[in-house]
Amino acid sequence: MKRKFDWDSVVRSKIFWAVVAEVVILLVSEILKPDFFRIEYKPETGMLYGVLIDILNRSAEITIIAMGMTLVIALGGTDLSVGALVAVSGAMALKFLRWDVTQYPTPGDYTIMPFYLVILAPLAVCTLMGAFNGLLIAKLGMQPIIATLILMVAGRGIAQITTNGKQFTTMYTPFQVIGQGHLLALPMPIIITAVVVLCVALFTRKTSFGMFVESVGVNPSASRVSGLQSDKIILIAFMITGFLSGISGLIYSSRISSCDSNNAGINNEMNAILAVVIGGTSMSGGKFSLAGTVIGSLIIQTIVTLVYFFGVVSEAIMAFEAMIIAVVIVLQSEPVRKAFASRRRRGAAATGGAVRA
Amino acid sequence: MRFVLNADVKRQSLGVRIFNPKYIMVYATLGVFFVIYLFGAIMYGDRGFTSLRTILLMFSDNAYVGVSAVGMTMVLITGGIDLSVAAVASLTGMFIAYGTTKLGIDPLWCMLFSLAVGTGLGLVMGAAIHYLNVPPFITTLTGMFLARGVCSLISRESISIDNPTIDALAGWKWILTYYKDGQWVKIKPMAYINLSVIVFIAMILIGMYVLQRTRFGRNVYAIGGSEQSAKLMGLPVGRTKIAVYAINGFCSALAGIVYVLYVKSGWNLALSGGELDVISSAVIGGVMLTGGVGYMLGTMFGVMLKATIPSLITFEGSLSSWWGKIATGALLLLFIVIQRAVVTYTDRKKAA
Repeated sequence: MKRKFDWDSVVRSKIFWAVVAEVVILLVSEILKPDFFRIEYKPETGMLYGVLIDILNRSAEITIIAMGMTLVIALGGTDLSVGALVAVSGAMALKFLRWDVTQYPTPGDYTIMPFYLVILAPLAVCTLMGAFNGLLIAKLGMQPIIATLILMVAGRGIAQITTNGKQFTTMYTPFQVIGQGHLLALPMPIIITAVVVLCVALFTRKTSFGMFVESVGVNPSASRVSGLQSDKIILIAFMITGFLSGISGLIYSSRISSCDSNNAGINNEMNAILAVVIGGTSMSGGKFSLAGTVIGSLIIQTIVTLVYFFGVVSEAIMAFEAMIIAVVIVLQSEPVRKAFASRRRRGAAATGGAVRA
Repeated sequence: MRFVLNADVKRQSLGVRIFNPKYIMVYATLGVFFVIYLFGAIMYGDRGFTSLRTILLMFSDNAYVGVSAVGMTMVLITGGIDLSVAAVASLTGMFIAYGTTKLGIDPLWCMLFSLAVGTGLGLVMGAAIHYLNVPPFITTLTGMFLARGVCSLISRESISIDNPTIDALAGWKWILTYYKDGQWVKIKPMAYINLSVIVFIAMILIGMYVLQRTRFGRNVYAIGGSEQSAKLMGLPVGRTKIAVYAINGFCSALAGIVYVLYVKSGWNLALSGGELDVISSAVIGGVMLTGGVGYMLGTMFGVMLKATIPSLITFEGSLSSWWGKIATGALLLLFIVIQRAVVTYTDRKKAA
């Protein structure tokens, strides 16, 4: 049977409001800044240029982390440690590229350790740290906020100690490609993000993992009684988040060709959680929407880009972010959505519209 | 079966009341604090680790964390969380710094204004949490972004404060003396109590009184235990929750004032990540994030315990300060494991 298009359920769905918000912000941007939508192709570099490409490019780190965060939040948890893991990943990668700055004082196009280790070791460490979070939560039954707070506090310390508190810089070309290179005329981070989003989407929607996550998020004990290994599901979700934070850290440190344990991934956990919530996944767990998360991340980055145009200092952007996010959250909140839905229903009844089941 | 009114029950003896198992987390904090302190005393006692001066300095250096933790403890006991505290404290610093140096307003007015803004923001966040059902985490995260953003809108550079009132308030100290041979002699090494220490201790005492001895305090515990039951019992859930966030906003602004007196400047990025310092102090002090459990005194020892670590690292001298973060993380892990063990133990005892 063909599903009838149901305007009511569309209005009531959370992702609808996120899309509306993004479209409104984009239109406002286009009005304020006429060149906003223009994308041009420069054959000499083989890349596409434009504000929209920039938004996609800059949102890569948050989008990638937010993919994992969506799963964690759908389980009814949060992961505060992602920002610290970004710092750890960057510090590890640069450590492997330079090893000891007193021995190799000038940054150049070389690497001390083989390149596959530069990529794999940080990812492995971050996955292990995610597993640590997951074990504390699944096996010891800790609250996710607290369990991940441990690594959030200790992680930056670990990152600093990895590089002895120094900022390493590198000129190693293969490493720089991750954050600064391009493929198919698009910046590399966009390609990586697309691959990550696709993989997570396939993993959650083509296997039963996504359904398990939602089930555990709605009711952990009922899921366990009905035979789901909730421990294992929680553990895997946190490991995925750790791994994705590692990828994000590699992109960030490749972008700046250096590691910066104080500032790498700062506030990433907050932005990722906001992206997920704006995208319509509830903090109390249950149903999740990866597409919504991508849109949430884009909303945040669009606001940031828009505010930049007005010459507002980068730190002050948070105030504008907060205001727009407040509007989105209020629109999405339960009482407001209920009020909307009931008004629509009343309107339909008054005009003698079709009765819906 | 007849229900017995509480008044009929004989008042328990002091010993039973002090060694009540419900205080076990506070004792755990106290125990670990003394172990670490003893370690410091043995290792660095000869360099003055145990002097009254070091202890009082620990109080005054961490007064802003302590003042903010008073409000945070109440919020956590209701089962909520507030991530905006450090940003509000930083905003207070900006208000005072910008108001006094750039606009020439009397610092006392700036302080009053900041306290009003902090309380107001807390009120709005509490209302959003209660009426719109937005999770506290998200609401206060937005509050944090807003406060930080406004900080940067005011100024991006650090503004140092040059004002006689602020100097007088910050410089005021009561040098401890003792009476010997007919005259007052200063303690050696010189130890003093300043305004921050007084505010810190006073706030802890007020917090203790409010939580343990007032109807409001009992409502806070009831909501944390089970919001549903509290509502069914007819307790004013909404009013209490909103009030708790407003009080916390006030405490964060007060913490900001204490911090301004400590650093005598305002900076838009000051105290970044400070909210987690405050939360982890409370957690180390035995407050549970699930709500309903926690004591003000525990929070105070949590603050002091966290303060001992950087102090120890300073006395050690050769360790990099990054170890402080790792040690704090380890400490947090230790306390959460203890909490889990206590909860599992009491659950099992209840079940048996």
